[in-house]
Amino acid sequence: MSRRTLLRVAIATYAFVDWLVIMAPSLAVKLAADRGGLGDSKGLDLIFASLAIAIPHAVVAGRRLRNAERSAVWRADIWIAAIDALVVLALSTTLLVLVVLGVFAEEHAALANRGYPIVALWMGLQLVAVVLAEATGRFVFWWLEPHRAVKLLHPSRYRPPTARHEARQASSGT
Amino acid sequence: MSLNRRQFLAAGLGAAGTLATGVGLGAHVLPVLAREDLIPGQAPDMTLAPAAWTTTADHVSFVALGDNGSGGRQAMAVAEQMARTYRNRPYGNVVLLGDICYYGKFDDRYQDVFVRPMSPLLDADVTFDLAIGNHDDALRHSETGYEEIEAEVTLLDTPGRYYSQTYGPADVFLLDSSIPGLFGPDSEQLEWLDDTLASATSQWRIVAMHHPPYSSGRHGSTPRAEEVLVPILQRHKVDLVLAGHDHHYERTVPLDGITYVVSGGGCKTTKVGRSDFTEVAKRILEFLHVEIDGDRLTGTCIQPQGQIADRFELRAREGR
Repeated sequence: MSRRTLLRVAIATYAFVDWLVIMAPSLAVKLAADRGGLGDSKGLDLIFASLAIAIPHAVVAGRRLRNAERSAVWRADIWIAAIDALVVLALSTTLLVLVVLGVFAEEHAALANRGYPIVALWMGLQLVAVVLAEATGRFVFWWLEPHRAVKLLHPSRYRPPTARHEARQASSGT
Repeated sequence: MSLNRRQFLAAGLGAAGTLATGVGLGAHVLPVLAREDLIPGQAPDMTLAPAAWTTTADHVSFVALGDNGSGGRQAMAVAEQMARTYRNRPYGNVVLLGDICYYGKFDDRYQDVFVRPMSPLLDADVTFDLAIGNHDDALRHSETGYEEIEAEVTLLDTPGRYYSQTYGPADVFLLDSSIPGLFGPDSEQLEWLDDTLASATSQWRIVAMHHPPYSSGRHGSTPRAEEVLVPILQRHKVDLVLAGHDHHYERTVPLDGITYVVSGGGCKTTKVGRSDFTEVAKRILEFLHVEIDGDRLTGTCIQPQGQIADRFELRAREGR
């Protein structure tokens, strides 16, 4: 397998895990409902809500890795930042739902009879989790490769950190 | 490949986070999210004919419901099926087997966890009798815990923390198993139970409480219940014991003539195994419909979509 194919597979796997992490809470709720004997349609709204967040974010996460691959000096930095982002995504997408729904149960119950706000709340919480994860991934990558910020903010002081990097940037036209 | 200090730190945090996430989420957080019925549910919107049931000296129907206090989707689905069941097989009483309020105080959540789900039945004049559970005393015998119980007793118009009711041909004894020392020596409540059962004259004797004397579920059989409570139940030839606490449905084989039922699937489910005493055990959302007709008692465990998970029949004891 060529290096390029391997990279594509790694990025696709990461995007799939990212998707799965966002879907996990709604799948857990749905499985519990099914096991308890509720009808097939119960819990599907949350699955669709999570899909609406998970699919675009899997694409965004894949693109983030591909772009980072083009501009990174050290490939390890890409994957370290990506793992950190995934950890934040996994923790926040589950814990936010658990804490917000558990601690503010009274407030949400008042919304329940209007139906859609619960789905909106669910999507909102997952969106916050996604934003936190994206911010983490980008911040860690920036922090690991500070020369990129120098290039952006102080172009006159920028020096390519390695000859390999300079050559890659020249070949990719960036 | 060597890592610089920043890479080492970020990679270390990532590795630790992955480990914590893998273990914590998989083993604890996701199961809690799946179990807890936190997604608020829509209340049943049905109108039922008031007082449609028939209670006579030898006939009565009632429902037992345990651990239903989430106000979530699953609790609402069970409540809706209770209302549908009323349409077909009307009943006049609901025995609440404790844990009627999770995630807050009953005073604050009264509407969410009780009035909204039960509104069709409340409007049909069905009465509710409560056996107090441990989550109703969430702070474990603290002042706040007692206030919580007082709120429940007041709001549900319950005669006391433990009391008996007569439903047609059945005497129902409702215990507060959250009281410290219920299963210990010198329990006033057990003395009361012993005396009251001794003077009971009805054909059927049913005891309802939160903590199950026998259970194959997550909490399991309640310690010391078998030593101090069960002999009283046996002595007075109780027919049926209803309990909650574990979030599943379980019926025992008759143990010295007594059938023990755990009906704690009012809004959540937890794992259940099988024990020597188990006749039926299922991890399901459910409630129990009980119908007594003369010398025959029929129990039907009903799931939220109306599926029948178990049906059993008891015959009245000889001489009653």
